[in-house]
Amino acid sequence: MKLNKTIVISSLLVTAVAGCTKLDEKLNDSFVLTAGSGGSTAAGILTHTYNDLGPVFTNQDQVFSLEENTTDECLVPTRGGDWDDNGVWRVLHAHAWDATHGQSSTVFNNLGALESDATTVLALNPTPAQTAQAIFLRSLAQFYFLDLYGQVPYRTVANYNSIGVAPVMTPDQAIDTLVTNLTNVIPQLSSTYSPYIASADAARFLLMKVLLNKQAFLNRSSPAAQDANDMKTVHALGAAIMASGNYHLTTNYFDNFGPNNGGFGVAGTGNPSTELILAYPNNGTASYNGVSNVDIDARWMMTLHYNSWDKPGVVGSAGWNGFSTIADVYNAFDPTDTRRGNVPYPAPNGAGVSPISGLNVGMAEGQQKDENGNNIMDRKGNLLVFAPTVALVETDVKTLEGDGIRVLKYYPDYNNYTGTASNNLVLFRYADVLLMMAEADLSGAGTGDALTLVNQLHTARGAAPLATITLVNKSNLYDGTTILEERQKELYWESWRRQDLIRLQVFLLPWALKTTDNPKYLLFPIPAAQLVANPNLKQNPGY
Amino acid sequence: MTIQRLLIRWVSFTLLCVLFTQTAFSQTHTITGKVTDDKGAPVPGATVTLRGTNAGVSTSADGSFTITGPANATTLIVSSVGFTNQELSIAGQSTINVTLQPTESNLNEVVVVGYGTARKKDLTGSVSAVSAKDFNKGIVAAPDQLLTGKVAGLEVTVGSGMPGAATTVKIRGNNSIRGGTTPLYVIDGIPLDGRAPRPVLYQNATTTGASGLGNLPDADPLIYINPQDIASIDVLKDASASAIYGSRGANGVILVTTKKGTPGQTKLEGSITVADQGLMKQPDILNASQYRSELAVYGQHSDSNQSLNPFKELIQHKLSTNYNLALSGGSETGKFRISLLASDQQGIVKHSSLEKYIANANGQYRFWDKRISLDFSLTASNYTEYLAPVSTDAGSTGNLISDAMNWNPTLRLINSDGTYNQANPSKQVNPLALLAYYTDINNVTATLGNVALGFKITPDLEYKLLYGINYGVGNRDNQLLGLIGQTGGNADGKGQAFVASAKLFSQTLDHTLNYNHQFSEAFSLNAVAGYEYWTTSWRNQSEYVYGFDYNVPGGPTLNIPYYNNMQDGNQGNLRTTTIVDPSVELQSYFARAVLNFYDKYLITGTFRGDGSSRFGSNNRYAYFPSVAAAWNVSNESFMKNNTVFDNLKLRLGWGETGSQDGIPAGASKNLTWYTGYGGNVAVINFANPNLKWEKVTAEDVGIDFSILKSRVYGSIDGFYKKTTHVLFFAPAIQPSSNPNGGQWTNLPDAAYITNKGLEASIGVAIIDKDNLHWNVNVNFEYVRNKFIYPAIGGSPLYLTGSITGQGVSSAFSEAIANNQPVDVFYLRKFTGFDQNGIAKVQSQASSYQGDPNPHVILGLNTDLSYKQWSININTHGAFGNKIYNNTATSVTNLGNIANGKNIAASLIGTQEGLANPVSASTRFLESGNYLKLGNATINYNIGKIAKVVKNANAFITGSNLFEITKYHGFDAEVNTDHNNNGVPSLGVDYIGYPSVRTFLVGINFTL
Repeated sequence: MKLNKTIVISSLLVTAVAGCTKLDEKLNDSFVLTAGSGGSTAAGILTHTYNDLGPVFTNQDQVFSLEENTTDECLVPTRGGDWDDNGVWRVLHAHAWDATHGQSSTVFNNLGALESDATTVLALNPTPAQTAQAIFLRSLAQFYFLDLYGQVPYRTVANYNSIGVAPVMTPDQAIDTLVTNLTNVIPQLSSTYSPYIASADAARFLLMKVLLNKQAFLNRSSPAAQDANDMKTVHALGAAIMASGNYHLTTNYFDNFGPNNGGFGVAGTGNPSTELILAYPNNGTASYNGVSNVDIDARWMMTLHYNSWDKPGVVGSAGWNGFSTIADVYNAFDPTDTRRGNVPYPAPNGAGVSPISGLNVGMAEGQQKDENGNNIMDRKGNLLVFAPTVALVETDVKTLEGDGIRVLKYYPDYNNYTGTASNNLVLFRYADVLLMMAEADLSGAGTGDALTLVNQLHTARGAAPLATITLVNKSNLYDGTTILEERQKELYWESWRRQDLIRLQVFLLPWALKTTDNPKYLLFPIPAAQLVANPNLKQNPGY
Repeated sequence: MTIQRLLIRWVSFTLLCVLFTQTAFSQTHTITGKVTDDKGAPVPGATVTLRGTNAGVSTSADGSFTITGPANATTLIVSSVGFTNQELSIAGQSTINVTLQPTESNLNEVVVVGYGTARKKDLTGSVSAVSAKDFNKGIVAAPDQLLTGKVAGLEVTVGSGMPGAATTVKIRGNNSIRGGTTPLYVIDGIPLDGRAPRPVLYQNATTTGASGLGNLPDADPLIYINPQDIASIDVLKDASASAIYGSRGANGVILVTTKKGTPGQTKLEGSITVADQGLMKQPDILNASQYRSELAVYGQHSDSNQSLNPFKELIQHKLSTNYNLALSGGSETGKFRISLLASDQQGIVKHSSLEKYIANANGQYRFWDKRISLDFSLTASNYTEYLAPVSTDAGSTGNLISDAMNWNPTLRLINSDGTYNQANPSKQVNPLALLAYYTDINNVTATLGNVALGFKITPDLEYKLLYGINYGVGNRDNQLLGLIGQTGGNADGKGQAFVASAKLFSQTLDHTLNYNHQFSEAFSLNAVAGYEYWTTSWRNQSEYVYGFDYNVPGGPTLNIPYYNNMQDGNQGNLRTTTIVDPSVELQSYFARAVLNFYDKYLITGTFRGDGSSRFGSNNRYAYFPSVAAAWNVSNESFMKNNTVFDNLKLRLGWGETGSQDGIPAGASKNLTWYTGYGGNVAVINFANPNLKWEKVTAEDVGIDFSILKSRVYGSIDGFYKKTTHVLFFAPAIQPSSNPNGGQWTNLPDAAYITNKGLEASIGVAIIDKDNLHWNVNVNFEYVRNKFIYPAIGGSPLYLTGSITGQGVSSAFSEAIANNQPVDVFYLRKFTGFDQNGIAKVQSQASSYQGDPNPHVILGLNTDLSYKQWSININTHGAFGNKIYNNTATSVTNLGNIANGKNIAASLIGTQEGLANPVSASTRFLESGNYLKLGNATINYNIGKIAKVVKNANAFITGSNLFEITKYHGFDAEVNTDHNNNGVPSLGVDYIGYPSVRTFLVGINFTL
């Protein structure tokens, strides 16, 4: 049929004219990583890995929030117009969070990035020194996965760039891995004072943490007794750190966190810390050895009041009026104990207050003053008094802006601050080594030096020496003759409290503004999206 | 070749054609007469031509005409929309009266169905056609707004009152949990890219201090189409109709057909409109005296002794104008139309407006016994948006609207020395200062062109080549002077500026073969087969700098915008960003056959194979079939004697369509950014070579009917749609190098979305007398949507609907969750206030609290005409959905009065205490039910004016006249974009640009 022929011919013609295209997608502003590193080097990614430490440990809503707001010593009360944020802060302190908690999910992902980058370094032909540092950093991420979630996803070096399902270590596998890896890298890491890179002392410190928390990690609701050999190892590791001679207790406790704690500050803003084993190097400019400055100013803005101090023309120097501590924590301090603070820093000016801002360092309580010693008012015209009593939901309009003692460990250098602060973030500190050794002694090492070690701190901090010391008093968390309370006084708001409470089996006891509890809160939930994507992860019980 | 040169060529070419059509006649034959309908009523505007000549006229208001042609003309042809064409012999006659028969329920009407046309009676799918006479009237910035309330199953929500505001358009529910629920727009056969060349002011990640005014909402991407150039819009709703668009058809297809010239005398049509405007609704805030008495109630002391209305200070009453001219004409072998639009739409907020200039030239030419056809069209447009700082995601600094709503009405805005009062005790941004110091100008030039060459191989078989381009460039200038204070960002005291540009370029190439043959009485075939290639690319570039030394406090005042003087900004603070989207290619083969047996049984089969660069390498090609059948019951012999049905047709269809537009370009690859400095690469997107299109399988059963001598007619459809291979951006499995990275995946088969519903479109000619006509048309849709994914249990898969403002950081209001509607509200349940006036919630945990998707969408339209007068009223509404009032949560909340800010008037007398936290809960979840009088027009047909004007109309249109709703915000027809990481939100309202009521007077005429 002629017609059919025409159709066939025309169809062929159309097809011929149309031809075929390969359907290439030009990426233009990005490229495809097919194999290898895409131009990355072990050195570059190692620097990148150090950068990963910044936000996850500095920001007020990441590791700090999970480790501190879930304990007695820290809370973010809702104050009228501020800080409800759909209850994310209050549920942490009240132990009532659920599987959708955004901070839990963010931290999970950021720890994953830290672990992945450290693993990537190992895949890019690193030098032995780079290898050892990368293994330390990978261990740090795995330690926090274990601590917060009880499950440790990981990648083998061969699969460093895989996006497939990741294998997951159980707590006992993770502990074995951590102990082996950290023990192996100690001799390969630098033994000189170097708080901004992984050192042998940092690895020893992390290994002490792993061993001390081992039984709690294995069984959180009823841990077995500490293993005497583990405790001896903890004590020996601490003794090795002491023996290095790199550290001694800082004369002014608050110099550990001040604007000059890393020696990057301006003269007259405090002295450098002598306790830094691992720190994040904010140096007041954009970066230090390729490690970018992070917004550590959040550490004072999160707690200060709007009217506390606001440097004109400086973005973000005003407070956000949030994070507080409870009266029990403040009242437990011996008044001569310099660690409580609430004094001018570094020294009072002519008006008897801190220069520049009038802010007191440490636990700021009572009427707030400006740099001339005049009273500061809140936004509603009331006197701004930081009162010890506080509620999760502040209800009295006259006091809601003032209630709650504020904690100012990282002290701002308002005179030189232009939005980039020079306070180093302290990750591992020497004082903790003394306390871990003391705890190891009391937990089975039997070295008998616990009281000596604690009193060494007391002498340095101006507190009266103790006559006895025990691990914990379960009927009084604030018993001053216990390791638990000593750790709080020394290490408050340094992100260790949750571990301490769980390890010493008091995390589920009631405390101010937390009346009920459930063992499920010993762990955070695995984020829903991760559960869906990785069948090796199992949701923690109760979520 | 530059656009200007191209334009000149097109225009001169068409003018040439115009001249050729104006041949003079030596010997002439003049005929006069009158055209009436079957009831004797005059038919104005009918086209009268003489066969074989270029002569042609339109009938006047009383239906009369006078036509002059060559003496040898033999046949008069009369045609008018809605009537069957009439051909009459004119031999020896000079007066002829013509009676036109109405086409039976418009069944012979031809509708556009994608790569071709079909008679309405041959349709097996669900297609709604709306022609120009039924479009919404009033100020219409973009074509999608012409259809609000006009089509059953089509939901058009205008986002805000901003001139040119984007609309949310959905056909038959919410198909996807990701982006890309917008239908595909096809203009004269050219599919559009959903993006617009509107530059985005990207801020580099390190520029965290840019003054936090948030991001301004997008404009409607169709803004450059002149609504008055549109002849008809066809909405393809079911898979049987849209499957021919394959991987882009899942959300339905909207086919826009532009106006063409008609044979006959050259016509010049014009229209002029002027519109005035006011607020549709006042904001829910206290006035100065109410504020004073509330201060007393709450024991607060922020009375600053003035009485002002800060909101009113922002409002302007400027006239909007619109001029439109169209020249058209031609013969049966050569037609043209040229149109020009100049429009200036003023916003209700000062310093905001939309200025548009659009030109279109098109022509349709036939050669060699009409065997060869050449059609072309070129639209060139330039528009300028002057934008006020009304963002969708402003934080505690607020935007212009919230700053005005919050301003203490007893506090001076302007100091006695004429400066703005910026150092106020509550540290608020002064809205007048913000208005004065902020500039944002966006200028876009967009062109849309196509040329089609056709060749009739045989009378039944035609080959067609179509090539189209859509090219646009945009430039954006933005500044915030350093004189501003209290924004808490870089601009305060220093000044900041952006310049940005964007470019969009897409091309379409089609080859089609059309075959149409009546084999016998029993069987006819209409088939089309073709190939299509489509490619598109988009880029954006933005520069930001802060720290200027003039127009800052204490600095000199210079009349140079920062954006024209970027080098004056502190160059250490310069940030530049370029974003170049991966270019996309699509290559497709498609075919459709319509088999017609005895005009009773119809079967349509379509098939499309799409290859897309967006699909994974293992799924590069995807195939989309559909089949549908229809039974014309009224053509059966047993229906011959029935007196009820004039027409009765049953339809049944099934098909599969895809949604590749939901897949971002590059999704199938390891997309990697090189971040420079330090040699770091970051994988932003992990390859999924198995990535497929999201598939919608749709079933439709429908009935078309007309009864009582076509006085009542309509369609009723039931539909069921199931989306599988649900597209989701899965966060990367940890450990992964980018914590925010992830992978595009298709959720497993156990996860799916369903949309099921019923829709009806019913028209009734209530009165149909000589001089009096009254028609009512109702469009109704009932639709329910659900996301199913049992594996995730009761917890949400993803949260979206981010809540913005002070005190609600990182709070969300909506979720994607198993066995819940898409974007279900997920909030704590509010149960009242305790004795301290603190809000109580049932539980600290959130739970599922309502559906943002309307369950019922209604359009009610009526036309009443009496002699030369006509009234047209269009109402529309949505029911069954909830709206989250984010403005009430975090802008006008009670606690603000203690901080010297204004609060919502609706809070008077509540038991809420001043210390009550700002928190998201069902307290702010309000019913979204509304019924709106969208527009009403009174038209007077003046008819002939002297000898010059052939036809003239004067009209007045009111838009947004009233809204019946319990919702407290400006407008229940609202959707502020509050997506989370690209997962869209729905039904969140946050300090948007207020809705506008307009009154427009206009005249249109034909010369």
